[in-house]
Amino acid sequence: MANSNGNGKGIEVTAARLDEIVRALRSTVGRATQIEENVAQLAENGESQAAAAEEMRESISSIATSMEETATASEQLARSQQTVAANANEVQKGLEASASGLQELVASIGTVNKDAEVLAQGAESTATVIEQSARALKSISGNAKELAGVSDRLASAMTQTSTTIADTASRGAETAATIEEVATTVEQMAAGSARLAADARQVGDRVNNLSTGFKTVVGALEHVVSDAAETASSVEETSATAEELARSFRGVAELAETLQQATASSASNLTEVAASVEEVAATAEKTAVVIDGNAAAVEQIARAAQGVTQSVQEVSTLAGSSASAVHQLDTVTRKIAAVVEESKTTSSRVGVSARTGGATVGRTIGGLVKIRQTLVEGASVMKDMGKRAEEIGDIVQTINLIADRTNLLSLNASIEAARAGEHGRGFAVIAEEIRALAERAAAAASDVSKIVRGLQGAARDAQASSTEGMRIAEEGAQLSEEARAGLQAILEGVEALDGSIKNISSASEEQARAVQIVATTTARVETESKQIARVNAEQSTAIASVARAAGEMRIMAKQTRDATSEQARTLRDLVKQNSQLTSLADKLTRATEEQATGANQLAKASTQIRIASQRTTSAMSEQLKTLGSMTESVAEIASATQRTVGGVAEQAKGAHEIGRAMDAARKHAMQSARTIAEQATATKELESGVRDLARLSAEVTTAVEQQTIGLNVLAKDADTARRIAKQTARAVNEQNDALEQLSVATTRQTSAMKSLAHATLEQTTTTEQISHAMRDIRSRLREITTALAATAKTAQSTAKETSTVAREVAAVRAASAEQAELISGLGRGGSNGSVEPTT
Amino acid sequence: MSLHVTFRVGNASYALPAAQVLHLESYETATHVPGAPPYVAGLVQVRGRLVPVVDLRARFGLPPIEHSLDRRVVVVQNGTRVAGLLVDSAREVVQIDEAAYEKPPEIIEEQASGFVSGVATAAKRLFLLVDVPRIIGEELSHG
Repeated sequence: MANSNGNGKGIEVTAARLDEIVRALRSTVGRATQIEENVAQLAENGESQAAAAEEMRESISSIATSMEETATASEQLARSQQTVAANANEVQKGLEASASGLQELVASIGTVNKDAEVLAQGAESTATVIEQSARALKSISGNAKELAGVSDRLASAMTQTSTTIADTASRGAETAATIEEVATTVEQMAAGSARLAADARQVGDRVNNLSTGFKTVVGALEHVVSDAAETASSVEETSATAEELARSFRGVAELAETLQQATASSASNLTEVAASVEEVAATAEKTAVVIDGNAAAVEQIARAAQGVTQSVQEVSTLAGSSASAVHQLDTVTRKIAAVVEESKTTSSRVGVSARTGGATVGRTIGGLVKIRQTLVEGASVMKDMGKRAEEIGDIVQTINLIADRTNLLSLNASIEAARAGEHGRGFAVIAEEIRALAERAAAAASDVSKIVRGLQGAARDAQASSTEGMRIAEEGAQLSEEARAGLQAILEGVEALDGSIKNISSASEEQARAVQIVATTTARVETESKQIARVNAEQSTAIASVARAAGEMRIMAKQTRDATSEQARTLRDLVKQNSQLTSLADKLTRATEEQATGANQLAKASTQIRIASQRTTSAMSEQLKTLGSMTESVAEIASATQRTVGGVAEQAKGAHEIGRAMDAARKHAMQSARTIAEQATATKELESGVRDLARLSAEVTTAVEQQTIGLNVLAKDADTARRIAKQTARAVNEQNDALEQLSVATTRQTSAMKSLAHATLEQTTTTEQISHAMRDIRSRLREITTALAATAKTAQSTAKETSTVAREVAAVRAASAEQAELISGLGRGGSNGSVEPTT
Repeated sequence: MSLHVTFRVGNASYALPAAQVLHLESYETATHVPGAPPYVAGLVQVRGRLVPVVDLRARFGLPPIEHSLDRRVVVVQNGTRVAGLLVDSAREVVQIDEAAYEKPPEIIEEQASGFVSGVATAAKRLFLLVDVPRIIGEELSHG
C-alpha cells in the first residue's frame, strides 16, 4: 500500500490515475465482491443443488425402496391373488359342490316332502281309520249298551223265570209232596184195599160158608120144616094118636123126648144159626163199618184224586206258562246269541281295523324314521355348508384384508407418485387403477361376505328347521308309537272282547242248550202232567165210580146190617122162642110125662102142641120164608160181597195201579222237581251267566267307552299327527323353498365367486403388469438415480470448483481489497480519501 | 389441480394436500404415552421412526369407535415434524384445484376450533380442509 507521492502535477496525475486505479480497484473489488457473492451464491446454489440432488436421490432411492417394497408387495399381492384365485377356485368348487349338495338336498327334501305328504296322507287315512274305528266302536258301544240292556232285561227275565221256576219248583215239590202224600195214601189205600180185599175175600168165604151153612140150615130147616110138618102131622097124628094114644104117653113122651131132643138140637142148631147169624150180623156190621170206612176212604180218594187232578192241572198250567217262559227265554237266548254273533263280527272287524291301523301306523313310523334320517342327513349337509360358509367368510376376510392393504399401498403409491411429479404420473394412474381394483375387490368381498352371511343365516335357519323337523318327526314317531301301543291295546281289548264274546257265545249256547233242555223238559212235564191229569181224571172217574159203588155198597151194607140185625133179632126172638120151645118141650116133656100121668090133657096138649106145631110150622115156614129171604139176602150179600170183593180187588188193583201210577207220577214229579230244580239251577246259572253277560256287556260297554275315549284321544292324536305331518310337509316345503333359494344364492355366489376369481385373475394380471411397470419404473428410477448421482457429483465438483473459484475470487477480492487499501492509503496520502469495503 | 388425500372422521370427509402427507398406514394399536393429552393415541413405529398419533375423533370431540380395519394413520409432515393423524378411514386420493379452496363459514370455523382451514368441492363431493399445523401444532405445544 505504498503509493509514491509524485510531484505536484505528476502527483496530481498519479493521484488522478491512482484515484482512477482505486476507483478501478474499487470497482474490481466491488466486482470481485460481486463475483464472490455470485460465486458464494453459485456455491450455495451448487450445494443446494447437490443437496437437492442428494435429497432427490435419497427421495428417489426412497422411492426405489418404496418401489422395491411395492414390487415385492405387488409380487406378494400377485401371489396372494393367485392364492386368492386358487382359493376362489376352491371356494367356487366348494360352492359348486355345495350347490350340487343343495340340489341333492333339494331333491331329497322333495322326497322328504313326498314322504311327508305320504305321511300326511297316511296320518289322514290313519285318522280316518281311527275315526271309522271310533264310529264302529261307538256303534259297538251302542250295540254293547243294547246288549247290556238286553242282558239286563234278560237278567230280569231270568230272575223272573228263575223266580217262576223256583215257584214252579216249589210247586212241583209241593205237587211231588202232594203226589207223595197221595201216593202214600193210595198205597195205604191199596194196602187197605188189599186188606179189605183179603177181608172181603174172607168175608166172601165166610159169607159163602154162611151161605152154605144157610143152605144147609135151610135144607135142615126145610128138613125141619118138613120134619115139623111131619112133626105136625105126626103131632096131628100124635094128637090123633094121643087122642088115640092118649094113654100111651110113653111113646108120646119118648116122642116128646125125641122132640125135645130134636128141639134141643134144633135149638142148638138155631143157637148155632143165631150165633152164626149174630156172627154174620157182626161181620155184616163190621163189613158195613169197613165198607163205610172204605167208602169214606174212597170218597177221600176221590176228593184227593180231584185235588190231584186240580194240582196236576195246575202243574200243567204252570208247565205251560213255564214252557212259554222258556220259549221266551229261548227267544231271548237266541237274540243274545245273535247279538253276541254280531258283537263277534264287529269285534273281529274292529280287530281287522286296528290291525290295519297298526300297519298304517307302522308305515307312518317308517316314513317318520325316513324323514328323520333325511333330516339328519340334511342337517349334516347344512352343518357342512355352514362350515364351508365360515371358510368362505374367512377367505373373504382375507380378501378384504388384502384389498385394504392394496388400497393402502395404492394410496401410498399415489402419494409417492404425486411427489415424484411428472415421473410419477403414469404410476399415479396405475396406483389409481390398483386402488379402484382394490375397492372393487373389497366391494365384491363385502358382497360375498353379505351373501355368505345370508347363506350362514339360511343354513342356520335350515338347520334349526331341520332340527325342528327332526324333533317333530321324533314326536310324530313317538305319537305314532303311542298310537301303535293304543292300537295294540285296542287289539288286546278286541281279543279280550273276542274271548269274552266267545265265552258269552259258549255260555249262550249252553244257555240255549239248557233252555232247549228246559223247554223239552217243560214240554215233557206238560205232556206228562197232561197224561197224569188224564190218568188222574180217569182214575178220578174210576174212583168216583168206586166211591159211587162204595156208597151203594155202604147202603147195601147198611141194608145187610139192618137185615142181618133184624134177622139176628128175629133169630134172637127165634132162639128165645126156641128156648121157650125147649122149655115148652121140657114142659111138654114134663107135661107128656105128666101126660104120661095125665093122658087126657095130652090131647088137649096135643092139640095145643098141634097148634103150637102148627104155629111152629107156620113160624118155621115163616122162619123158612125169612131164612129164604135171608138166604136170598145172604146170597145177595155174597154176590154183593163177591162183587165187593171183585170191586175191592179191582179197587186194590186200581189202587195198586194208582199206587204204581202215583209212584210213576211221583217219580215223574220228582224227576220234574229235579228237572225243575236243575232248571232252576240252570236258570240260576243262566241268570248268573246273564248277569255275567250283563256285567261283561257293561264291562264291554265300559271298555268300549274307554276304547272310544282312547280312540277319541287317538283320533285327536292322529289329528295332531296329521296336523304335525301337514306342518312337517309345510315346513319341508318351506325348507325346500329356502333350500331352493339357498341353491339360487349358492349359484349366485358361485357366479360371484367366478367373477371374483375372474376379477382376481384380472387383478393378478394387472398386478403383474404393475409389477412390470414397477420394475420399469424402478429401472428408470435407477437410471434417474444414477443420473442424479452423476449430476450430484458434477454439482459437487462444480461446487468444489465454484468454491475454489470463490476462494480465488475471495483471494482476488482480498488482494484487490488490499490493493485498494494500499492504493487508498496511497490515495489518502494524496487526497486523504478512504476506501470502504463493500459488504 | 393437485393430489389430495381424503379421509373420513365421523360423518365428514376431509382432504389434505398429498404434499403434506408422507404416507398412509394401517392402524392397529399405539403405545400409550403417560401424561399425553387425551387426543394423543400414543406412539407408533412407522418405517423405522417413532411417530406420535393424534386421534382426530378425540381431537374433534367425537365419541370413540371400535377398532376396525378401516382405521388408518395419515402420516403428515409439518416442517421437520412428522405426526400421524388417526382417522376413521382413508381410502381415496382426489385431484382438487387449490384455487377452488373456499373459506369456511364463520360459524363452522368457530365450531371447528380452527381445525378447518377451508372447504373444497371435488367430484361433486364436499371436503373439509384441515389445518395440520393447527392440529399438531397445538398438540406439540401441549406435548
